[in-house]
Amino acid sequence: MIRFEGVTKVYDTITALRHVTFTIEKGEFVYITGPSGAGKSTLLKLIYLAERPDSGNISIAGWDYKSLKEKAVPYLRRNVGVVFQDFKLLPNKTVYDNIAITLRIRGFKEREIKERVYEALKMVNLRHKADAYPPTLSGGEQQRATIARAIVGEPTILIADEPTGNLDADNAAGIMRIFRNIHSKGTTVVFATHNRELFRNTGMRVLRLDSGNLVADEIG
Amino acid sequence: MRYPLKVALKSLWLERWINLLSILSIGVGLFILGFVGFILYNVEGLTKGAPERLTITVFLKDEIPRTDIQRVIDSVKKRAFVKSVRFISKEEALEELKEALRESAYLVEGIDENPLFASLVIRLKGDGLNKKDLDAFLASLRKEKIVDEVIFGEEVMNKLLGVITNVKIGVVVVGLLFCVAIVFICYSTVKMLFYRRKEEVEIYKLLGATKGFIRSPFLFEGLLLGLGGGIIASIGNLLVSKFLEELSNPTLPFMRYVVMPEEIVILLPLIGMTLGVVGSAIALGKIRY
Repeated sequence: MIRFEGVTKVYDTITALRHVTFTIEKGEFVYITGPSGAGKSTLLKLIYLAERPDSGNISIAGWDYKSLKEKAVPYLRRNVGVVFQDFKLLPNKTVYDNIAITLRIRGFKEREIKERVYEALKMVNLRHKADAYPPTLSGGEQQRATIARAIVGEPTILIADEPTGNLDADNAAGIMRIFRNIHSKGTTVVFATHNRELFRNTGMRVLRLDSGNLVADEIG
Repeated sequence: MRYPLKVALKSLWLERWINLLSILSIGVGLFILGFVGFILYNVEGLTKGAPERLTITVFLKDEIPRTDIQRVIDSVKKRAFVKSVRFISKEEALEELKEALRESAYLVEGIDENPLFASLVIRLKGDGLNKKDLDAFLASLRKEKIVDEVIFGEEVMNKLLGVITNVKIGVVVVGLLFCVAIVFICYSTVKMLFYRRKEEVEIYKLLGATKGFIRSPFLFEGLLLGLGGGIIASIGNLLVSKFLEELSNPTLPFMRYVVMPEEIVILLPLIGMTLGVVGSAIALGKIRY
């Protein structure tokens, strides 16, 4: 499903990732961990091609980076749902419209969009906030709206960058339940966090990064 | 199609003052463009019939066999811009002179020998006449052995053709300048709207939007700006036309010939929409992922 082969990413003089190699199989739940600046966000950005590798090759859901044409990038991204660390919700659009845009991009009809959006909102327990604007929501609610947007298109891969980073323990637990629920439906989940408590004793795979190097591939 | 149009309309409303200013600027530009077109249309109309009012008189030498005259007539008739050729014999010329003199016809009474020349009177068509062809035609007539003299208001005609050419060049240059100006207005408006929604566009890209999906609302915005400007320009030109019609009274009889082509009402919004889309397309440039 996801394959990194000797991937290196350099920003100016800083090497964010150095010869990183790993494979994530379909349906896996993988935590990416490491201290701040370890390269977690860079690794995730490389998966949805917000960044390009300087060397090495990446293969995502059957798309090979080296042979990927630029016009195919949007179609690759439709396979990858992303929960951004900074939410990336549009403040001037309602929660409903923020989620619906994912489906409008794909040319869905408004009737089907409505059904799917409400289903996604129900899944993250945010149906009552469909007409609210993001700035009026709490951090946890914004995070759940972002998750709803990421899953509404039924992606094969779901990526989350520190989704519990700014949340209190209760909200974080709620978010984790949502991710486990999505994973139970067969979605491959890649979850970046620096919080060890989230994966301790879960029996899930953990990729540990440090200064751009993949230092451990273990079970949490 | 409906969604990008909805987004475009919403964006136009959200930035209504800037867009209104752009629409008015485009409207003024298109109005001038329409007015320039109106001038060209009327100059063409007014000058179209002018060559027809001028004739070429070709005086022939004496004692020319009729077959030679007929050969020249046939070759003249072949020219696309010749409307008619009339042969006037010496005798007919004398009769016409007597007719013209009427009461003073006694002046030519008693002349034993007819002093007049046989001639060809050539009338020209207004369409498809250019200076080069006309000069070549006159030169070829003068070279004919049977021709004694060719009389034609060349200076007047050349001046007229020169004026028409200059007006046409002027109209094309002014028209192009205004087209560029309108494209630039649309370009800067859409560029600004694009930058204001840059964050939104970046999110759309990350969610898997194609270039077409990102571009289409902006292209619609350019199209609507052009359409708005075009409608204003059409109304402006219609008002000018009405004003000119009111001037068409006996004190300004020449104004009766001034016409506003009806097509302009549709043409200006169409030009506006085309230029709007072109300006927007340039403003969006190449979208990269």
